[in-house]
Amino acid sequence: MRTVLRASLRTHTRRYVAAFVAVMVAVGFVIATNAVGSAAKSGLSAEFERAYRGADLVVGQDYGLDRSQVEPVERAAADQGAAADVIGSAFTTVTHDGTPLGQDTSVSTVSLDPELRRQTVVAGRAPAADGQALVDQRAAKADRIRVGDRLVVGTDGDRRTVTVVGVAKATTYLSADLYVPWSTLSALPDALPDAVVVRTSGDPAATSAALSKVTEEPVRTQGEYVDARVVTLNQGFDAIGILLLLFATVAGFVAVLVIANTFTILFAQRTRDLALLRCVGATRQQVVRSVRVESVAVALLASTLGVVAGVGAGYGIVATVRALSDASTLGPVALSPLWVGGAFVGGVVVTVAAAWLPTRRVVRVSPLAALRPHDADVLSRAGAARVGLGAAVVATGAATLAVAVRTSTLPPLLLGGMVTFTGVLLLGPVLVPALLRVAGRLLGGTGLATRLAAANAVRNPRRSAATTASLLVGVTLATAVLTGMASARGALDDELEVQYPVDVALTGSSTLPDDALDRVGRLDGVDRASLVPGVRAELPGAGVVPVLTPGSGARDLTRDPSTVEPPRLTLLIPGAVATTMTDGIPERLRLTRDGRSVEVATKVVGSEWGSAVLAGPGVVEALGGGATPQALWVRVADGTDTVRLTGELGAVARELGLGVSSTVDSRASIEKQLDVLTWAVLGLLGISVAIALVGIANTVGLSVLERGREHALLRALGLTRGELRRMLAAEGLLLALVAAVLGTVVGVAFGWVGTVSVVTAAVQDVPLVTPWSELAAVVGIAALAGLLACVVPARRAAKVAPAEGLVLD
Amino acid sequence: MTTTTHAPVATAASARDLTKTYGTGAAAVHALDGVDVDLAPGRFTAVMGPSGSGKSTLMHCLAGLDRPTRGTVTVDGVDLTRLDDDRLTRFRRDHLGFVFQAFNLLPMLTARQNILLPLELAGRRVDANVRDDLDTVVSVLGLGDRLEHRPSELSGGQQQRVAIARALVSQASIVFADEPTGNLDSAASAEVLSYLRRSVRELGRTVVMVTHEIDAAAYADDVVVLADGRIRSHLVSPSRAELVSVLAGSTHRDA
Ligand SMILES: Nc1ncnc2c1ncn2[C@@H]1O[C@H](COP(=O)(O)OP(=O)(O)O)[C@@H](O)[C@H]1O
Ligand SMILES: [Mg+2]
Repeated sequence: MRTVLRASLRTHTRRYVAAFVAVMVAVGFVIATNAVGSAAKSGLSAEFERAYRGADLVVGQDYGLDRSQVEPVERAAADQGAAADVIGSAFTTVTHDGTPLGQDTSVSTVSLDPELRRQTVVAGRAPAADGQALVDQRAAKADRIRVGDRLVVGTDGDRRTVTVVGVAKATTYLSADLYVPWSTLSALPDALPDAVVVRTSGDPAATSAALSKVTEEPVRTQGEYVDARVVTLNQGFDAIGILLLLFATVAGFVAVLVIANTFTILFAQRTRDLALLRCVGATRQQVVRSVRVESVAVALLASTLGVVAGVGAGYGIVATVRALSDASTLGPVALSPLWVGGAFVGGVVVTVAAAWLPTRRVVRVSPLAALRPHDADVLSRAGAARVGLGAAVVATGAATLAVAVRTSTLPPLLLGGMVTFTGVLLLGPVLVPALLRVAGRLLGGTGLATRLAAANAVRNPRRSAATTASLLVGVTLATAVLTGMASARGALDDELEVQYPVDVALTGSSTLPDDALDRVGRLDGVDRASLVPGVRAELPGAGVVPVLTPGSGARDLTRDPSTVEPPRLTLLIPGAVATTMTDGIPERLRLTRDGRSVEVATKVVGSEWGSAVLAGPGVVEALGGGATPQALWVRVADGTDTVRLTGELGAVARELGLGVSSTVDSRASIEKQLDVLTWAVLGLLGISVAIALVGIANTVGLSVLERGREHALLRALGLTRGELRRMLAAEGLLLALVAAVLGTVVGVAFGWVGTVSVVTAAVQDVPLVTPWSELAAVVGIAALAGLLACVVPARRAAKVAPAEGLVLD
Repeated sequence: MTTTTHAPVATAASARDLTKTYGTGAAAVHALDGVDVDLAPGRFTAVMGPSGSGKSTLMHCLAGLDRPTRGTVTVDGVDLTRLDDDRLTRFRRDHLGFVFQAFNLLPMLTARQNILLPLELAGRRVDANVRDDLDTVVSVLGLGDRLEHRPSELSGGQQQRVAIARALVSQASIVFADEPTGNLDSAASAEVLSYLRRSVRELGRTVVMVTHEIDAAAYADDVVVLADGRIRSHLVSPSRAELVSVLAGSTHRDA
């Protein structure tokens, strides 16, 4: 048998290459998924990690820690020989040359320990002692603060004077206008500690234990703390974790499909060889053993190479995405040994099993029966039983998905998705040829080559179905995620529109100066700006506030005009004002102005437009009318450098004596996190396309080997080389198109179900969005992959001279 | 068509110094070794010889399915060795017909589609003329009720008849057949051979058939005998006895 094995390996090298590549890519796919996923996660975490730079341990809840806990922790850390510092913040008044920078300026901490300092100093130097400060780049520009300037932080009795020694680069997380050491900040009564960061000198575990003894607050490693904050930030919804789990499941599924399909074709073609072996006296055991040895050899070698390829592809994709997009959307790759080991072992096991199943069919029948040319080319009609079974499985899956929607849980979603998909695969041999015939008819007008390709594609329904299956998985995956993301993004956008209706609002302490509109409107990046008329009136418990009545110009520049339209005699009170109302907020209250008063209904809203309330019709009139411009609302043009614009707006506002309330940064930070997810999906889509290429290339390649004589006959009868190549390319294109269209239909459905059951857990009222252009791109890429997959087999087939082909078997 | 006048076509196909060598050095096999042959139009020529004597190779070179190592091949007045692959392909499509030993038909097409395939490849419309031709050929070959069947639903003899019909309907000036009866029993063989002879006698076609069976060669007008890649003799209308003696000599020498 060993001679046979060796001879078989030698003669059928090309066929083994197909199986080999299938295993390799499948194993690689799983590993690359892990690589890309870990990069996406670390990309998001990296930003948080920068905030807790240098810390081995972080003490505090996700929302901060009690001020009384700071001292004991600091003391215990010092006992352990560890460096500790507090990250904290305060909103207070900061005065520069006697002018306040705004109503409330954010002040945060900067560590005196260079190892623990999270800010990057771009001018001057870092603070080295109490009373020294770093100013944020943006604030420096907006408020014309220079190194060496002196600022007064705090109000009345609790004020401290600090000297600006440097300028810090703006960050998105834990950023502030001014950074001072905790020793300075803690003098303010409003200062809130966020966390105590600890840099250990020896064993972090020992320090951790010592700290836990002196405080109730949780003591976590930096990694644990950052992970927890990422989850908190996503409103308790570990999006990346769920996404990775989903991809891992799917990756395993794809692997099994591709390997099984390739081996099925491979052994279907070798049935006659094996049968002949049996005829000339090989026992069943000998045949089975030979196949097993062969498949183990292929499995081990291919899985090993798959690990190498997967690691390489993962790093490559991450590097490419980083080069193409904003570099920080993906962080460094961190491969998990569990994934890599699992992929290797899985690859070997699946390969051996996939090789064993089709051989079993061969050894079961009598040698002579196996030798009879079981005509693979006869259109085997899939029985009614299969249709029934497929339909039943789809129904079961759909029911499971319904449970997922009802309960908003992940396990039934994954299970239901897989079961439904299995049903679609079972229906494949019926569904796929039918779709191929339709597609063939649509493309059939383009010539004989296409018509022959369509006929070839439906010749072996089971094979066509299995081939399209691997691409189907990739396309379904990609379109489901794109649809889900689009829906989630739509939901989030809706929320953001309500929360941040106005991009930038400028308000003052009296009627706005005449040139305000002109000066702000001239700034680069301001799309539209509008004055908001109103009056100043006394709000019980909060003093005199602007009462605005946005006109149509102001309403139209908001992201959601309905959020700034209070009903008649109603007051919309934003959180910023509500927190200042010391007497609480009654359902109805009385506004007064110059002796006139009006009773209005109140409504506290989660929207932001600075320190002003919005009044419905009738309110300003009852207060005597005579509205004057009290605020200026700005709509920022898409794609504007918000850092620059915020700085310029701040400078203008300062000169005009106005306060600025900007939401563009918060919006940008949230959008960025969604971009991270989208790029991660695109990275994975790249791998699915590679899978599709291999799956289709294998089938077309193996079919080409099988049909060598037919191609020679066609060439003899007058099919030119170019026409033969076109015919094979059209076959690949048809397979890919059918898979892409079917996959898109299934994927969009899955995307919606997934959105409804998972995203609704975090966000209410999710609109179901169909991302048409992205879906079209997926179908286009898949079709192109189908064409590309045929390039090599088609060229090879066309090179064979007709006379050579006629003697092939 | 070009208007250049060809030399008067006295032969349907001819080869000069036709040589085909497989491999190089010590492993070189001279499948054809300087063959000169002229095949007459309107006749049924059999190419005979023992297995491995180069019959298939000769046919492949004459029919433009393979390129000779040396020498020229002229068919219908056209030097095939000077055509590039696409021109050669179109030449085969427009002038030649083929019947092979097996795998003659595309399995996914019906008998009718297989017969009309060369016309489709040439982009020719199936007009009334073609339909008349098809009807005539189909009735001559007795395939009337089999046209809508796929190859897997046809017997071996029927499949070969469909291949002959394909060659005839496409108006091929020469039909090349390589062991067309090799897979058939004697009754089916006789049927196929008589159809080939009828297409020469009644439809005026030229047929070149490779065979190693003396019974098959008996249907032919002329017989070319090959041995070791060389023409051993070219017999015009030989008697059976003549044929037997020539072949006996060749096998004898071969042995
Ligand atoms: N592709 C090939 N490579 C090497 N040798 C070949 C090839 N095809 C044919 N031959 C050799 O050329 C000789 C003639 O072959 P062929 O024309 O097929 O003979 P016949 O058809 O008369 O049996 C044989 O010795 C054969 O082994
Ligand atoms: Mg031969």
